[in-house]
Amino acid sequence: MDLKATALLKLVYLEMFGHDMSWASFHVLEVMSSAKYLQKRVGYLGAVQSFRQDTEVLMLATNLLKKDLTSTSITTMSLPIITLPHVITPSLALSVLSDLLPRLTHSHPAIRKKTIVTLYRLALVYPETLRPAWPKIKERLMDEGEDPSVTAAIVNVVCELGWRRPQDFLPLAPRLFELLVDSGNNWMAIKLIKLFATLTPLEPRLVRKLLPPLTNIIKTTPAMSLLYECINGIIQGGILDSTDDSIGGEEIATLCVSKLRGMVMVEGDANLKYVALLAFNKIVLTHPYLVAQQEDVIMECIDSPDISIRLRALDLVVGMVNSDNLMSIVGRLMRQLKNSRSATAEELNHQPAPIEPTADSDDESPEVAIKTDKGAAEAPLLPDDYKIDVINKILDMCSSNNYGNLVDFDWYIDILIQLVRSAPIPNSSSLSDDSNMGRNETSNLDVSERIGDELRLVAVKVKALRLQATRAAESILISTYNDTSSQLTSGSGVLRAVAWMVGEYASSLASPDGTLTALLQLTKASTSAEGLNIYLQALPKILSLIAGDEHIAWTPERKTMVALLMARIIHALEPLAVHPDLEVQERAVEFSELLKLAAEAASGQETSRDGDQQDAPLLLTQAIPFLFAGQELNSVAAGAQKNVPIPQGLDLDQPINPNLNNLLRAVESASFDKPEQDEFEVYYHQQQPPIAISSNEPAVNRLGAREEPVHSYQQGSEESYLDPDIVARRRAERMERNKDDPFYIAPTEDRSGRSTPLHNILQSNNGPDLDIDSIPIMQLDLGKTSPLSQLSPKKISSHKPLQRIQVAADETLATSGTSTPRYDDSENSLDGPQRQKHKGKSLLQVDSSHIGAFSLEGDSSSGPLDYERQKREDAEMAKAMQEVERLRLEMQRANERIQAAQGVEGTVVKKKKKKAKPVGTEADSGEAVTVVKKKKKAKPAVMDEGEAASEPVEVVKPKKKKKKAKIDEGEQQSIVD
Amino acid sequence: MINAVLVFNNAGQPRLTKFYTQLETSVQQRLISEIFNLVSHRPSGSCNFLPLPPLLASSSTSTVPSSEHNDVPSLVTYRHYATLYFIIISTSTESPLALIDLIQVYVEALDRLFENVCELDLIFNFETLHAALAEMVVGGVVVETQLDKVVEGVKSQGRVAKRPVNEGRGGGLGMGMGMGMGGNFGWTGR
Repeated sequence: MDLKATALLKLVYLEMFGHDMSWASFHVLEVMSSAKYLQKRVGYLGAVQSFRQDTEVLMLATNLLKKDLTSTSITTMSLPIITLPHVITPSLALSVLSDLLPRLTHSHPAIRKKTIVTLYRLALVYPETLRPAWPKIKERLMDEGEDPSVTAAIVNVVCELGWRRPQDFLPLAPRLFELLVDSGNNWMAIKLIKLFATLTPLEPRLVRKLLPPLTNIIKTTPAMSLLYECINGIIQGGILDSTDDSIGGEEIATLCVSKLRGMVMVEGDANLKYVALLAFNKIVLTHPYLVAQQEDVIMECIDSPDISIRLRALDLVVGMVNSDNLMSIVGRLMRQLKNSRSATAEELNHQPAPIEPTADSDDESPEVAIKTDKGAAEAPLLPDDYKIDVINKILDMCSSNNYGNLVDFDWYIDILIQLVRSAPIPNSSSLSDDSNMGRNETSNLDVSERIGDELRLVAVKVKALRLQATRAAESILISTYNDTSSQLTSGSGVLRAVAWMVGEYASSLASPDGTLTALLQLTKASTSAEGLNIYLQALPKILSLIAGDEHIAWTPERKTMVALLMARIIHALEPLAVHPDLEVQERAVEFSELLKLAAEAASGQETSRDGDQQDAPLLLTQAIPFLFAGQELNSVAAGAQKNVPIPQGLDLDQPINPNLNNLLRAVESASFDKPEQDEFEVYYHQQQPPIAISSNEPAVNRLGAREEPVHSYQQGSEESYLDPDIVARRRAERMERNKDDPFYIAPTEDRSGRSTPLHNILQSNNGPDLDIDSIPIMQLDLGKTSPLSQLSPKKISSHKPLQRIQVAADETLATSGTSTPRYDDSENSLDGPQRQKHKGKSLLQVDSSHIGAFSLEGDSSSGPLDYERQKREDAEMAKAMQEVERLRLEMQRANERIQAAQGVEGTVVKKKKKKAKPVGTEADSGEAVTVVKKKKKAKPAVMDEGEAASEPVEVVKPKKKKKKAKIDEGEQQSIVD
Repeated sequence: MINAVLVFNNAGQPRLTKFYTQLETSVQQRLISEIFNLVSHRPSGSCNFLPLPPLLASSSTSTVPSSEHNDVPSLVTYRHYATLYFIIISTSTESPLALIDLIQVYVEALDRLFENVCELDLIFNFETLHAALAEMVVGGVVVETQLDKVVEGVKSQGRVAKRPVNEGRGGGLGMGMGMGMGGNFGWTGR
């Protein structure tokens, strides 16, 4: 046995290095049952480290655990107590509960405190535990003569339970308060404050009572941890918000902030800085101005060498930014980005190896594996994450509050250009852009894409700056082309936005030729379909600008120049006609055919000699520009025409329904429908080539005629009565949506902005404020946006499959409806973040629950092969039981809530206790099961909402019964009562 | 609550791993190496709080705003002593500064138990390490923070802990440990 124990000890040691020892579980059990304490201890250690919920021998261990629990020796007794939390399952909890409960009154405090914690862990998997255990724990807590460390343990447990169901612990408040004031134990005080922070929202009167001692502690305590927790508790308990009626919340906030400032200022203690920043982050939500006063110290932290501190400071900075400090803060961050760039680039060159997280888990040389791992993963990961964070934060700051903090857009454009250069691309280039889409790379793309979006947004929204923005885009594009070693790879997200801009605002370009060359180069070099789609659209746009000027004479020079250009483009497009991506293929074919036609026309057209003036071929001067411009007389710039205000008498909203058919016909037959449609297609990066809609698919058109022309009609009206900036906003939204939903073309267009990605909601909602010169026009739309929003439900209801997205559309429409009339920026900007938060939460909720499930059940696959099936069954059963427990807990909670509302909680608990006791003590298994069953049946009856929940319970019941019976049979002899 | 307590040395070799929620062994190893990657690159003057490792981070970003999600580990606290890193992963119900103190208490307790503790002690007596931890943290909840009581609790479990003072490593160990140590010699070379 000695040998076995030693071997087990070695095994446990090996397990620490990642070697599976689940096969040895039976041996663990053997050692556990040894009579010698030291061997026993080894056995229990093995159990703690290796047993999982699905470990089979757990069943066999139950008896042993129960036996050791009743041992006379304190040390032996504590072994099962400290082991139970690691191996507990509901069934195990049920059977050991009766042995564990008496330990609460054990004479030795060490046993008592450990038992309390173990009971808490029992309660987590088997909530019924609390019924018999809670009164006893409470008794311990109330007992003034109790050992202080036991009290502290209880407080810890109560604190853990506290946030789950705070209302149950309100009655304890007086005693807890007493402990807080009298105990003088800082550890406990910290926990108590945390607990109170969860209680105060439920009981506002507590605030009054708590404030004096808390402020007292804040002012006097020498312990930084306690000080911090006090401040934290005040913040988290919502005391700062709620004190407006009673004691000056401002005073406390000021006190807290000044103390926190003191903490940040403490030289050399990074921990205090960190936690103080954490606390600042929470205060800044309610008292941004107070925090903004501490700008100097916070900005120090932003340059701290410690990434953790930097990140916290960064979070904070976003909260406290205003128009005065924006430029200085962003400047500081930019400097940081610029300086850090070279350093990380060097680092990167050293460690280009990919990350292999599992490398170290299997073989005998953990160190080696870890070492290589460390180099590769760390260096690129952290700084890049940080940089991405910084860039995102800069963009957040600048675009926040409808660009309200931004005073100088020129400066912003410069910042954006700079950001494009310092965006951490190197990483993605080393990983190559489509083969391994690592976590890193996607986030990189996201950030550069975001910068591009931002630039585009500025160009679209701020007309005054469109020229500069386009020039900026151009310079980015050309520099990418010129500098082949540049960090920007052709798949980089920013280029998409940039390519769109140079195409759409081609008239603002400084050198269209250079841009075209760069774009061609890009098109040849890039492989990713998303990028190509956009480049392909931009190419003819620029070409039409260069070649399509009908006022310049058709000279031989021009002819050759144009022919050359078109040949180059065709040359670039032709290989793409066999591109694997259908979209790219289609566009390439469309455009290259079109250009071939144009080239033919151009070569056929005679050039003008000295005497007779020859025009350029119409196809070049008329048709191609028409594709993108729509209105020939206006500039190519998309926003130009929409500026023309509609005469008041012309109300495009009214006649929609009565005149529908006429209008449809009219629109369909009207020749300008084609180019207009095309323009929009181009504008929105529609994936289907523009021509297809009107000319290639007449049959489809006729079939879908009802819908499609309506939509184009709508669009026309919408665009003409809406303010340019709103149109722009809608466009941005649409663009975003179309990205998500590439296969939806025309029909989706009229339901604007349905699935705007979260970060864009904010941005796009900012629209109204942005266009400074359009403010007077706002008045005009007020009436008309609301009809639109009234209309929208009708439109929406016709399309069922897209329900999820439609919700978002309602929101957008609603906001535009409510916020435009009042032109209320604050409301608008408030709306955005809120929605964002809400959505984010739900997303994350799924995530976290998934993680939770993963960490609990992830071990189900870790068995030797022969047992696999059995194990799976076992796991299933365990899962089923978990489900039952969960449901039961839910029902129980609901039940208690109902009863608490009726104010009879005390008696109910007593009754339940009576019922629960038989479960634990009854020797006869059949009876126990029936009792449980009865209870279960009774509960759904009490509850209204239990109907749905009771179904799964019923299904699972047989399994559970079987299992319980099994266990009870096994345990019959050991149950003493 | 505390989700895990880890101890590893400067090379990332684990010396103690204790997870208070059940995790697959390979996941544990991945977590350890991720944390080691984070922790080993930190400059000496920086604070004792780590950004969440990627494995945990996916859940963390979501949980920060809402207090309901106290169940998810959100705090990684570490301390560096000579050749060893002590790490505690915990949820938001623990106080960060208190955790730092907790590590301090733990290390002091080990120091008392081993009399001038060093990494070798931990390798050869990792069972004592577990015992000391069990005195302080049970099931992820802190039960004891007083140094004396922790030491007393471990010592009451047997003489093992007292024996392996630096020079006594060769012989005179408790019965289980004597063998265990002999075996351990073989592995430390790895």
